[in-house]
Amino acid sequence: MMRIRFLSALALALVAAIAPAAAHAATVTITVRQPDGTPLTDGVVLVDSAAAPRPVPRGPYAMEQKQIAFQPHVLIVPVGAQVAFPNRDSVRHHVYSFSKAKRFDLKLYGREDQRSIVFDTAGVVALGCNIHDTMSGFVIVTATPFYARTDAQGRVTIPGVPAGAVTLRLWSPSIRAAGNVLAQAATVPAAGYATTLTIRR
Amino acid sequence: MRLPRPRFRTLRGRLAVLYTGMFALALAVLGVTAQVMIWTHARSSVSAELAASGSVYDGLWALRAKTLAGTADVLAHDFGFRTAVATGDRPTIESALATLRARAGVQRAMVVEPDGSVVGAAGPLAAAIAGLPDRMGDGRHDAVLVSQGRIYRVIVSPVLAPMQIGSVVLALPLDAAEMRGLERLSAIPLTATMLYRDAAGRWQSADGSIGADPAVDALVSASQSTRRLVTLTLPAGRAFAIAKPLAGPNGRADAALLIRYPLQAALAPYLPLQAGLALAGLIGIALVVLGSLRLARRITRPLFELDAAARTLEEGARTEVTVTGEDEIGRLAQSFNRMSQGIVDRENRISHLAFHDTLTGLPNRTSFRQALDQALARAARSGPAGEQVAVLCLDLDGFKGVNDTLGHPVGDALLETLGALLTRLAPDGLVSRLGGDEFAIILAGRLEADRPRGLAQAILDAVARPVEAAGHQIATGFSIGIALSPADGTDPDQLLKNADLALYRAKKDGHGVFRFFEEALDIAARKRRQMELDLREALMTGQFRLNFQPIYDLKADRIGGFESLLRWHHPTRGEVSPVEFIPVAEDTGLIVGIGEWVLHEACRHAVDWPDHVRVAINVSPLQFRSQGFAAIVMQALARTGLPPRRLEIEITESVFLDGEDHVLGLLHQLRAIGVRVALDDFGTGYSSLSYLRSFPFDKIKIDRSFVTHVAADASSAAIVRAIVDLAAALHMEITAEGVEDADQLGCLRGQGCDSIQGFLLSRPVEYDAIARLLPARLAKAA
Repeated sequence: MMRIRFLSALALALVAAIAPAAAHAATVTITVRQPDGTPLTDGVVLVDSAAAPRPVPRGPYAMEQKQIAFQPHVLIVPVGAQVAFPNRDSVRHHVYSFSKAKRFDLKLYGREDQRSIVFDTAGVVALGCNIHDTMSGFVIVTATPFYARTDAQGRVTIPGVPAGAVTLRLWSPSIRAAGNVLAQAATVPAAGYATTLTIRR
Repeated sequence: MRLPRPRFRTLRGRLAVLYTGMFALALAVLGVTAQVMIWTHARSSVSAELAASGSVYDGLWALRAKTLAGTADVLAHDFGFRTAVATGDRPTIESALATLRARAGVQRAMVVEPDGSVVGAAGPLAAAIAGLPDRMGDGRHDAVLVSQGRIYRVIVSPVLAPMQIGSVVLALPLDAAEMRGLERLSAIPLTATMLYRDAAGRWQSADGSIGADPAVDALVSASQSTRRLVTLTLPAGRAFAIAKPLAGPNGRADAALLIRYPLQAALAPYLPLQAGLALAGLIGIALVVLGSLRLARRITRPLFELDAAARTLEEGARTEVTVTGEDEIGRLAQSFNRMSQGIVDRENRISHLAFHDTLTGLPNRTSFRQALDQALARAARSGPAGEQVAVLCLDLDGFKGVNDTLGHPVGDALLETLGALLTRLAPDGLVSRLGGDEFAIILAGRLEADRPRGLAQAILDAVARPVEAAGHQIATGFSIGIALSPADGTDPDQLLKNADLALYRAKKDGHGVFRFFEEALDIAARKRRQMELDLREALMTGQFRLNFQPIYDLKADRIGGFESLLRWHHPTRGEVSPVEFIPVAEDTGLIVGIGEWVLHEACRHAVDWPDHVRVAINVSPLQFRSQGFAAIVMQALARTGLPPRRLEIEITESVFLDGEDHVLGLLHQLRAIGVRVALDDFGTGYSSLSYLRSFPFDKIKIDRSFVTHVAADASSAAIVRAIVDLAAALHMEITAEGVEDADQLGCLRGQGCDSIQGFLLSRPVEYDAIARLLPARLAKAA
């Protein structure tokens, strides 16, 4: 929760920073629902806009392996960010990714070993551990500064989105599609944009 | 509905059929029970066997699933393999699949990528497999797939990196070889067959051995929830079967495993038991048939003997049954024997009573007739020169007198004595008592020619002296008639009748004699019989008429009366003499009726005659003694108006033979009304003089036998004179009959006869001649 709030603050700062340049900025509010109508809580909404500035990595970013799990489960980083993979467990891990956005393979390493990866391509990177099949994590590498995670109500509110044509992208592990992503084109008016997306299974 | 009950002619058959039937029924029940038990047992053991096999199969199925899944999982988890799948490195994937096929012994191993493309297979199976990972429910990795009539067991193992990037799919065809492999796992020879649901929803086998069958459908659908054992009738024969529906990708069963066990094989172990039961049953039935026949024979043999004995008894023969045992049948036999003895005893008594005279103990008339029949039949068989039969009919003379004077007990004693006497005298004959004082003796066989005569004479000699009976010496005698067969007839009736005729003749000939039958006797008897018939006819049709013979009064010298004489003009024979027919009329009693007619007829005529002319009528003793004779006389007088004094009744002495009292009473009665009574035929009877004293006759008629010789014979003349004197002394008139010439007339007149009658004066004349005759006068000069 702390981290979310932190990220929100970061986003607000970014918006504030670019506000003068973008005279017409709007707030995008999206509510996401699962096929059964309940809110989707672990989704990530990305808004791609041609007018959007590239986000700047501000590190440090870390994806911990703690108690045989990835912490956090989902990590959103800007393109070019370097993410550390510290092992907090007493056992060794073999973290890998076969995702196109970043293919890597951190062979067996322990607490004493420092490992980090630079994610230089936007996309979703699914993380696994070759030793522990139950371990699953995601690194979302984003090229847009407009993104947010759905809250308990499945809602995101993204301010400062330049009005005009955008692409809304929704990611969730529960989405059965290539890369677990749904994409939708939209036009954001200056007054703001709100919509509800429902996942089809 | 009622079944027709079988009818048995013998108790034996009934018992045998009953026992055999009951035993067969029991056997049938036993057999059915055994069959049901065998069936149940076979079914339960096969059921257990099938259940065990089913369980084994289940376990094996699960184990196989686990093994296959493990094999697939190993590949799916291989880091290099995952790398290859993640990177779409198809050559590497295919080589890994080839390795897997070789390692796990699975023919088909495939990888399904998230976009649905299949690596490692092509064609219809690939198409079926393509969507399989998506269709499989959560957590399921095992399914049975039907593709184009072929059935595959598929194992799906996801490839995770860690998100699913594909699936390893193993497909195992459930083909004949697989089934044989399954079958080999069972202890009993089961048959395993794969079924799949066709487009129409019917279940049929992949190998075509089982077509669509409602029973199979029902079995599979029922087996979805619980396992059950049914009996199926399949082309290969009847079989116990269970089904194991196999879940498809989406959970619904599109295929099923059918495990069956042929009924024949299930029941085969019981064949010796069934054969043994059948054999034991047949032997049992045979034993029961033999045993019940034997038992029935033991029961029915005495019954049969009793039956036969009862028939014998029914036919009249004395019979005894051998009594065996103390049981009910033995007692029945004893009772039967007693009954049989009783019947015979009673029969003997009854037949003795029926055939014997109770008084003398001699055979009775019935018995005599039977003996005569038999003797004649025997004689007839012996041929013309063979045996003879003689019948002696005996009648006791004067028996009525014995009864009247000495009483019936003495009469009975006399009969007994004589019966014994006859039996003693005729040891070679059959002595019978025909009734009353009649006896008869049959002599039969080769008789000495003189034997009948000798016997008759011996009997007469034996009773010539008085016989002692009940303390009385009784003088008696027999009249005997004898008829001989074949000379006097071969028919028993005829012979007996002829013997009777001979007896009649003997009696006529004065008692105490025997007479043989002669042909003339028979002819006379026939004539008498015909005469009797004719007389009845004559009386009814008026063939009689009266003739009248004048009686000349010598004192008044004129005709003083007429004697009426009966004449019969027979329609064919002409005039029949009274001598001929009067005895017949008397014997038959017709004389009473005839006499009544004569009385009326005579009175009717006489009433027309001059007042001094009387009419005389002959009255037979039978008529005279008949009931109501006096009334008839009075009736005739009243009806004709003839004065009684002009009627003269002529009777003979014989009216007194049966007692005087009644006759005298009647005579006095007639006298009282004025009718005259004359004593006819005087001088020919017994002791006439006593009658003359008993009754004052008006007239005595001297018999013609004295008159005929009165002129020529001095003794006759003397008798006539004596009679005339006697009559004069008693104040009776005298009429002489049969006066034929003047000499006789002269003599009679000379002796003082009152009147005469005879041809000298006139023959009897018809009625219409009387008027002419009345003036006639006899010449006094004669």
